[in-house]
Formats: sequence, C-alpha cells, structure tokens
Amino acid sequence: MASIVFEQVTKSFDRTAIIRDLDLTIEDGKFTVLVGPSGCGKTTLLRMIAGIGPQTSGRVLIDGKDVSRVAPGQRGVAMVFQNYAIYPTMSVRENIEFGLKNNKVPKEERKRLVESIGETVGLSGLLDRKPSALSGGQRQRVALARAMVKKPSVFLMDEPLSNLDAKLRVQMRVELIELHKKLGTTFVYVTHDQTEAMSMADTIVLMNEGVIQQMSSPAEMYHRPANRFAAEFIGLPPMNIAELGPDGVQLGFRPESAALSEEPLDHHLCIRGVIATREMLGSETIYQVRTDKQAYMVRSAEDRFEVDRPVYVGVPAEKLHFFGADGRRIDERSSDVRWYLEAARGLVYA
Amino acid sequence: MRNHALWEKLRPYVMIAPAMAGIVLFVVYPVLYLVRLSFYKYNLMNKAKSKFIGWDNYRKLFGNDDFYKSLVNTVWYTVGVVALTMILSLLIALWLRRSSRWNALVQAGIFTPHIVSIVSIALLWLWMMEPSHGLLNYVLQSLGLPTSTWLQSSKTALVSVIIVSVWHGIGYYALILVAALQSIPPSIYEAAALDNAGRFKLFFRITLPLISPQLFFVLVIMTIGSFKVFDTVQVMTDGGPNQATSTIVYYIFRYRSTNIGYSSATGVVLMLVVGALTFLYFRLLSRKLHYQ
Ligand SMILES: Nc1ncnc2c1ncn2[C@@H]1O[C@H](COP(=O)(O)OP(=O)(O)O)[C@@H](O)[C@H]1O
Ligand SMILES: [Mg+2]
Repeated sequence: MASIVFEQVTKSFDRTAIIRDLDLTIEDGKFTVLVGPSGCGKTTLLRMIAGIGPQTSGRVLIDGKDVSRVAPGQRGVAMVFQNYAIYPTMSVRENIEFGLKNNKVPKEERKRLVESIGETVGLSGLLDRKPSALSGGQRQRVALARAMVKKPSVFLMDEPLSNLDAKLRVQMRVELIELHKKLGTTFVYVTHDQTEAMSMADTIVLMNEGVIQQMSSPAEMYHRPANRFAAEFIGLPPMNIAELGPDGVQLGFRPESAALSEEPLDHHLCIRGVIATREMLGSETIYQVRTDKQAYMVRSAEDRFEVDRPVYVGVPAEKLHFFGADGRRIDERSSDVRWYLEAARGLVYA
Repeated sequence: MRNHALWEKLRPYVMIAPAMAGIVLFVVYPVLYLVRLSFYKYNLMNKAKSKFIGWDNYRKLFGNDDFYKSLVNTVWYTVGVVALTMILSLLIALWLRRSSRWNALVQAGIFTPHIVSIVSIALLWLWMMEPSHGLLNYVLQSLGLPTSTWLQSSKTALVSVIIVSVWHGIGYYALILVAALQSIPPSIYEAAALDNAGRFKLFFRITLPLISPQLFFVLVIMTIGSFKVFDTVQVMTDGGPNQATSTIVYYIFRYRSTNIGYSSATGVVLMLVVGALTFLYFRLLSRKLHYQ
C-alpha cells in the first residue's frame, strides 16, 4: 500500500510541455480514476508513476519516498497497459510468471501463485496457451493476472476495458471494483469514459490539457462541478449551459433535473420550446428542446411528448448551477447567487 | 449446361496456366535437364557423340579428392559467413534500432556495399589485401599489429574470402533485422521493465524470440546463398592457392567445357545438399519460431 504524490511535476516531449507544474496527491488504498478527453495527458501521468516515462522536472513520491531515481521494476507498481502488452512469445503461465522469475521467487511458490491467480481471474484451463489463441477478454485477464501476481502496492491501469465489448466491459467494471475491495491497494485507473469514472471511483481526478480541473468524489463532481468543463464532461447528455447576463455569467442545469410539460410550469426557471428530436432509450427518453436561441437536452421518464410539439421545460432553483465569465463555478452560498437566481427567473419565455 | 460445369472445373487451371508454363519452362525443365546431363558423357562439339553412361559421373565425383576438398571448403565458408554475418548484423541492428537521423546515415553507409557489384568489391579487397603494398597490412603494421598473408597463403585465403563476403552482405541483413526490431511494440519493453527484467533476460526472452522469424529467414537465405558462392572466389583467388578456396560452384565451373556431364553431376549433388539442409532447418527450427 502506498500513496502517490506529485510535486511541481512537469513533463515535456520535444520541449512542448504536456503537463506543467502539477501537484497531485493520490490517497493510499483508494480507487482513484484519472479521467479526461483523449490526449489530455492521462497516460503520460500514469507512465510517470510507473517510471517508464519519467518526469522532466519535479518529484514523484510513492509512499513518501522520492522515486525519481528508482527503476520501474523496483517501485512496487504494476501496470495494465491499454493494449495489454502481453509477451506474445510466452504462454499465459510464462507471462504471469515472468515478473516473479525476475524477482527470484522460488519455483514452488511461483507455481502456487500462478495457479491461484489463474483461478482468481478465471484462466485456470488456459495457462499453457499462447496469447494468440486467446480472446480479447481473456488477454485482458492475463494482463490483470500478470499485474496482480506481483502483489504491488500500486496498481496502475490504462483504459484496461476500452478494447472489450460493452457487456464484458460492464461485467469487468464490477470485477475490478471487487478486486480493489479485496486487495485494498492503491488503484490508479485511467479512462476517457465518464460513466466508467463515475461508477468505479472513490476519487475522480478530472483533467483537461494537462491541467487538473477538479478532484473529488463522483457525487461531488456530479452535484457541484468546479467549472464548466467539469459540468459538461461529467453526465450524459452533458449539462445544458445558457447565457445569463451581460457580465458573462452562465447558467447550467442537468438534463435529468428538468421537467417537461405541455402546460406552463411554476418551476423557478421555465423555458418554452419545441421538441426537435426524441431518443427512446426504454426506461427513459431524451428530448432535444429547441428555443429560438439554443437547444436544451432533457431526460425524462415520460415518452409521450411528440416531435414538433411545443413544450415547457421547468427547472427548480436548487438544481441550477452558475458559472462566472472565467468558467469557474459560483458557489451557491455566495451573495451574488441570489441576484443570478432572479435573473434566471427573468428568462421565462412568454 | 454440361459445358458450363466443365468450364467451372477447368477455370482455375486455365488461370494458373501461364504462371505454371513459366515455372515449367524456367525451373522444372532446366532441373530435369541438369539431372539428365549428369548421366551422360556429353560432347559439346558433336551432340551425336554424347553417350549415356549411367552413374559413372557420380562414381568419379565421389572418388575425387578435389571434390571433397571443395565441399569441405564450401561448408567452412558457409559456416563462417552465416555465423559472422548473423552475429554482426544483429549487433549492428541492435545498435541502430533507435530511429534517428544519425542512425539512418550509418545504416545507409553500411548498406552501400550491397548495391555495389560483388566483382568490384572483390577487386577492391584484392588490392587492399595485397600483402606487401596493400592498405590492410599497412594499417596493421602502423598499429603495431601482426600482418597477414591474406589471399596469398592457403592458411588465410578462405578466411579472407569470408571477410569480404560478410562485409558485402552485412548491411542488407542488418536492415532486415532493424526493421524487425523496430516492429516490436515499445510497450512490451515497458511491461518487461515493470517486471524487473534485466538486460540479459530482455534480450533472450523478449527480443530474440520476437525477431526469430526474420533471423530464420536470414539463416536460410544466407546458407543457400553461401553454398553457391562463386564470384568472390573467381575474382579473388581462382580457387587457390593450392585449392584452399575452391568451392563447389567453382569446381563445377572448372569442368564447364571439358566435361559438362561431370559438372552437372556436381550440380545435382549441390542441389541435394542445399535442399537437405533447408529441410533440416525447417524441421529443427520452425517450431521454435514465433509468427505474429
Ligand atoms: N512519446 C511522445 N512524444 C511526443 N508527444 C507525446 C508522446 N506521448 C504523448 N505525447 C503527447 O502528449 C499528450 C498527452 O498524451 P497522453 O498522455 O497519451 O494522452 P491520454 O490522456 O489520451 O492518455 C498528447 O498530446 C500526445 O500527443
Ligand atoms: Mg492514453
């Protein structure tokens, strides 16, 4: 078990800084998810922890020790690569065993460990196969077993589920959460998928262009996004954003916070529009409501609203978010919010 | 209807007929003709005087010490060239695997001998290896190292020929191996680094198995090529001194006009030896190969 600390870390490729002066503390024993759009530097961050793409400047500490000069194999970390990086010439058993052999674990114990891990991840009958004879899901398990067998104090995973089909992905999500519970070690999990982040994380670290946008629990991130980026990245469909006033303040509400009706609603915010599109998802329906200014997404349990019909969208005051001209969240306890709420009421369309 | 079905059956054969005609004309027929010739005492001046003599050519061949000498020379030449080229080109490939401008330049330099005719190269080396005025001995001498008689002594002649052949081929094979090394995904090495693999393990457990198909290709191609060596010997030594560099193909060449049947028999033996060796390679090594 170990915590991970980044202190003033900068990472450059050919003089272009991808990450600049980053400070970050990843708590011991937590399931931390790094999430953000593709190319934002998640993999780069993970590789700095592993030591396979060391920082340009600054310090990385694992369990309080500066590991800048420690080789990847000596850091007590294991990593599941996005493409799994399984050794193609070795059998499943040899793949899992390789790290143990290098660490001079005695043969008897190696055998025992490999068989028990094989059992855990469901590879028992496949230990003597070559990776080329395995399915995507099985390869993913080999990568997982190879990491687990070393009993690392930090578990790094780079989009480990992105190559699996939707059903297997959901199943593996649950298995990884259980694995984390069982092992109790520090997990750092990278994904670009906000659903994955929300469903698995103890702590989400949301990144954009190499900068941490927000670090909090999934609930906090959902209910109190720190800025517009967080508001629009987390949640599906993303939060609706509308201009509020001349000072650049913007108002936001989540598609699932809004109510739909054919009659005018007495919610705090009430917008009149026309249904432009309608997506039936089964348990719920997603509507796009178009006003003369912009479009809003609304998620509703009711599927009775037809396309091209005029409707009212209502949002209660406590579900409204406000963002300043700089994109930052305006705290609901701040004195200005009362004023913005009044302005929002003014948005009622006749 | 019947016609249609017949056409369906024939079509594949008609389609490959042109290619097959080429193969029959240029591969199968010459080989069969070679075998036929080997059973004749052939008269180049007067075809009518040629006569069938059965296994006589072969009997003569296997009773000839010069033939055995050439065979042994060829084997040593092949072993030397294949081993040296493979080891050196692998080392060079490992050195050049990182793609940078400097490495590309070095690679181009090493490759250059391959695009020059072996005859020119042989002549050049012949001149450099001249014992009393040549460049090599001059350099050795000025470095205070012992000089060599190179091509002029039966002790060093074969080694000298081997050196030239290795020098000629190394760039090409290094190029193949560099490409093989560069096709290994870097994440495999990163995973191995996290698995705490040492340099030795990394090379023998990861790198070598992953480039085994290319190494095998180089081994087979070079063995076949080396067994048929001729031009270097012809230009540099004429098989001498004292038969020290006479190889099988050079032996065949010596009898080209005096006894073509005998030459053909030697050619058939060479073909069988190379065929058997290639078969052996596949039997012994193909299971150790890893194809992606
Ligand atoms: N080896 C490299 N050389 C140059 N640029 C790189 C390299 N690796 C990553 N980058 C750049 O760094 C940025 C972040 O990449 P990465 O960390 O892989 O993003 P992601 O969040 O999708 O994992 C990208 O803009 C990418 O182009
Ligand atoms: Mg990535």
